Amino acid sequence: MITKAQLSQLDPLSRRQFVANAAKTALGVSVLPLFAGKAVAAQPGKAKHCIFLYMSGGMTHMDTFDPKPGAETQGKTGIAKTPVAGINLSEFMPKLAKGFNDIALIRSMTQKTGDHRGGSYVMHTSYNPRSTIRHPSMGPWAQRLLGKNEGMQLPDSVTIGAGGEHPGAGFFGPSMSPLPIGDPMKGVQNSRFAEGIEEKDFDKRLKLMSTFNETFTQKFKTDEVKAYSDFYDETLKLMKSEDLDVFDLEKEPDYKAKLERYGDNRFGQGVLLAKRLVANGVRHVEVTLGGWDMHNDLWSAIPERAGSLDMAIAALIEDLKAEGLFEETIICLASEFGRTPNINSNGGRDHHPRVFTTMLAGGGIVGGQVYGESDDKGIAVKENPCEAKDFNATIAYAMGLDLNEVVYAPSGRPFLVAGHKQDPKTKEITTEGQPIMQFFS
Amino acid sequence: MKSVQPSLENSRQSRAVIDDNRAARHIVRTAFTAVAVAVALLSSSLFAAESRTWTDTDGRTVEAEYLGYEGGGSNIMVKLKLADGKELKFPFSKLSKDDQVFVQSNVPKDASSIAAEIDRLVDAKLVEAAAEIRTQGSELFARTDLDAKQKEKDVEELQRQIAMTVPNPRSTDEQFVRRIYLDAAGRIPTYEEYMKFVDSSSRNKRAELIDELLDSEAYVMHLFNFYSDLLRIRSSVSMNANQLRGISYIDWVKDKIREDKPYDAMVREMLTATGKIWDNPATGYLITDLGMPLCNLSNTFTVFLGTEITCAQCHDHPFEEVYQMDFFKMAAFMGETEGRSREQSQGREALGRMNKLLVDGGKLREGQDRDNALGNIVGTYGYDVHDTDKNTVKLPHDYKYDDADPNASVDPAAYFGDIVDLEKYDTPREAFADWLTSKNNPRFTVNLVNRLWKRAFGLAQIEPVFNIPGHLDGQAQNYDLLKFLEDSMKELDYDVKGFMRAIYNSNAYQREATRLTPSLVQVDNGTYHFPGPILRRMTAEQMWDSLVALTIPDADGVRRRGWEDYKAVMDTDFDSIKTADDVLAFKERYYAVGGTDSGEMMGSTRIGGADMVRASELSLPQQPGHFLREFGQSDKLLIENQYDTGSAPQVMALLNGSITNKTLTDENSYLMKVAAGEGRGDRVEKIFVSILGRMPTSDESGKAKSAARAGREGEPPGYGDLIWALVNTREFMFIQ
Repeated sequence: MITKAQLSQLDPLSRRQFVANAAKTALGVSVLPLFAGKAVAAQPGKAKHCIFLYMSGGMTHMDTFDPKPGAETQGKTGIAKTPVAGINLSEFMPKLAKGFNDIALIRSMTQKTGDHRGGSYVMHTSYNPRSTIRHPSMGPWAQRLLGKNEGMQLPDSVTIGAGGEHPGAGFFGPSMSPLPIGDPMKGVQNSRFAEGIEEKDFDKRLKLMSTFNETFTQKFKTDEVKAYSDFYDETLKLMKSEDLDVFDLEKEPDYKAKLERYGDNRFGQGVLLAKRLVANGVRHVEVTLGGWDMHNDLWSAIPERAGSLDMAIAALIEDLKAEGLFEETIICLASEFGRTPNINSNGGRDHHPRVFTTMLAGGGIVGGQVYGESDDKGIAVKENPCEAKDFNATIAYAMGLDLNEVVYAPSGRPFLVAGHKQDPKTKEITTEGQPIMQFFS
Repeated sequence: MKSVQPSLENSRQSRAVIDDNRAARHIVRTAFTAVAVAVALLSSSLFAAESRTWTDTDGRTVEAEYLGYEGGGSNIMVKLKLADGKELKFPFSKLSKDDQVFVQSNVPKDASSIAAEIDRLVDAKLVEAAAEIRTQGSELFARTDLDAKQKEKDVEELQRQIAMTVPNPRSTDEQFVRRIYLDAAGRIPTYEEYMKFVDSSSRNKRAELIDELLDSEAYVMHLFNFYSDLLRIRSSVSMNANQLRGISYIDWVKDKIREDKPYDAMVREMLTATGKIWDNPATGYLITDLGMPLCNLSNTFTVFLGTEITCAQCHDHPFEEVYQMDFFKMAAFMGETEGRSREQSQGREALGRMNKLLVDGGKLREGQDRDNALGNIVGTYGYDVHDTDKNTVKLPHDYKYDDADPNASVDPAAYFGDIVDLEKYDTPREAFADWLTSKNNPRFTVNLVNRLWKRAFGLAQIEPVFNIPGHLDGQAQNYDLLKFLEDSMKELDYDVKGFMRAIYNSNAYQREATRLTPSLVQVDNGTYHFPGPILRRMTAEQMWDSLVALTIPDADGVRRRGWEDYKAVMDTDFDSIKTADDVLAFKERYYAVGGTDSGEMMGSTRIGGADMVRASELSLPQQPGHFLREFGQSDKLLIENQYDTGSAPQVMALLNGSITNKTLTDENSYLMKVAAGEGRGDRVEKIFVSILGRMPTSDESGKAKSAARAGREGEPPGYGDLIWALVNTREFMFIQ
């Protein structure tokens, strides 16, 4: 393995080549000392963890977090009052309305694109999609800027129920890819012995494998062969360690009772698993809730969809508080865009990137407040427009990431965690996204 | 990066001088090319592939056809074919001057002659490198300014390097058969295929096997994976047009490989294609980057010219002589091309009528008046690649150099290679396609041979592969070899199969894999000189396809095709849709195009719960979590986004996943049938040969047998443990 000192002696091209060749780890089995053990963040950030709830399909803002009572386009959705005078949520979010003092809303989100893939990409990465680069999402950014969590076999970031379009680690390479979990009840794919195989069978097989391995590994002492042998060793250690229990929802104390509060559905299970992972040291967990693309018959779908969201977040906040983790865990809720105030002829709402709502809670965010405002009809931003990069800058700030640390892609192009701009004169590259400071006080 | 910026300004001022030099070079090159072409024409029209009279130094003559030559240095043997069909080899040195000139002006075309020349050049370079390292060694010993420890380290590095200048031994038949199957056919050989080769007593059996594999469907599948990574071919073809299907494009690329269409013509076709993707699938290349013409240009440069110019999209290239203006002038070649039709597209009117049929037929939910999915399908009629007469490429709004204003229009022009005369073409992109694929383009052919070399040897001559210099002299470490490969490819008229045939027939390729890893410095400087291929981990597709070959009897026989179906659906006459059921049938036919991964196409290939079909015939890419993605299948969103590095999920997939625990040992798996079937060898031997492509040692055999006898508690003796253990060895996943 090449050392950092050696690396710095290589010319830029070599370094690019190295990074391109280097990605040699995933699932936290760290073989890359390069990015590990970096000094603690330069900026203060209370949030050591992030639970990112992604509403896939375009969450209707008017029927969740930004109702417009009295507006003719409000449709059948009523309101739920919050303890803060003048601020209402929709009737489908009664628990969050009641606990509004824990959450903060951004009601002036705005996006340029109305397509799902593009919007989701921008929301996750702060950059527009390009076919020449893949930008990293927030979990890998945190790992890149803060270094990997020390002493952990567990991965730094996990996605639960995310689809194949998730930008993942982007140009950081597979070594920083979030570990994907499909079904939260099943945990990490293939981490348990196969059906019918007991530990003694497994050990017998391993012994046989070592016998057959000998000649080849003696003959070829290449870095790649050695790396694979290391992966086998590390993975076997991981399989036998207790770390994997963290992914086992059934090992959560009273998990059945808890699921009744979170909602015994994929999303509720995912959010409970996210809480369990965070409580055990995982830095970034994303849970996806789909089904928001309500072009048709919105009111037959919204009570259940918004209801499961309301339940899960309320339970999550309650548990994080009980475990003393609320102040060090930022909860974020985002979607690619909102939905048209105009109700279409199919009783649904269509894509609406002009204005929509996101939510933040915990991790140093002061709840009970709203940033920005949409107009009376929920059509456009009335004040303080906020883009994906600003939203991500706020999360990054809460987590203590340096918004101005430049990271170069293998192709040599510079990128920042919340988008970048370059001063035409000084050539200085700085963050484009700006954190919402009123949330931190 | 900041520090580079000022010097850029300087180089901008010197641009005029550079341009002059470039023009001068161009004239010289053109003149030279003209002479070369004249010579080639003369020789080819008069002599090549025809009989001529040969004279030796003693004045004796013979009538014969020229076949090529082999060997090198003073041992070059010229191969001639006599009138009676007999072939003979004659020493080059004993030919008359005229005949020697004839041979020298005829670059060889047949595989064995090209292979011989490759070997000559590889070996010469190894000798040269060894001498250089020895000189470095004696200089190192003479130095007094180094401390002993540093000296020792440097000596060690030189020793390592000098070990890599000694050609590796020739591979054994066992090593060769496994490697050539993986490289040419994309999977390991089956037990029968292995046996057939090892048992053959033909003197030419390696060349014969190479020929056989290059003509197989497996070759098509495997080379398709290469193109699919390079061109980012997806089943859902474009980021910005979700409903468009990639299947016709996929079929088209496979067809081109199958018919061995010259590579340059294939590229030209993709760049100039017009129409809808189901009518003209070659449009898939431009459709992939629909709405992102500037990205498409960057991608075109990376893929076809081995040149990374993305930086120049936003500013002058910091390391190379590419200005932002160059980028936009190049982009302007495609500036008249659009991927979406502006006119009201086909089917729009019919859509309203079809929605009404659905409503009236009670096929929609209460209160719904349209079917969005149907609308999306009909919407794809609007994707139609065509040329307008208006160039839409403009400089960016923040263009900051003083040679033009922001937002200014730019005219197409190439900043290297041939000077383009737009007058000769109907559209600028035809001019661009000709410029790009021209034999005079200094990067087009080099890029291709460099990438193909990497495919065979695991490492390119120029790394990274997107860093091809404008001229090779002084840049490529083995200039002679790379130049020869470039010339050969041109002589072969971009016959990729013919080129690979030559490489696979070379001794250099047929040597054992190198036992050490070339250092990063060696890779970067291009100072690994190929004593043999490097040891490679199988690609995700090679691993998967090998497992498929272990599980089903005819791994290369299961193919997905859908172009014709796709076209038939999209050519539907909407007037024939008269009822709500007709509408639903139309939708159903659309969704059935190309089959699905667990659909009827697969049938008997579903073994132990997995669809065991070769990667090229599955959806592209597979979902995250699939075996292929775990092992590094590209997401096909970026060029060559595949990887071959390890991870814990990979290891867990092999340790605990269903493939090694269920599929391979299923009673219907081909491996189990072969092990129990007829044929030479006992079960253990058959399993070893099937999985590792070699016989077990007696020690291994003994241990395998006792493990099989012992079995598991309460179960009959079995081979599950053996199979599991072998697939989990490093030997399985690496290509020797």
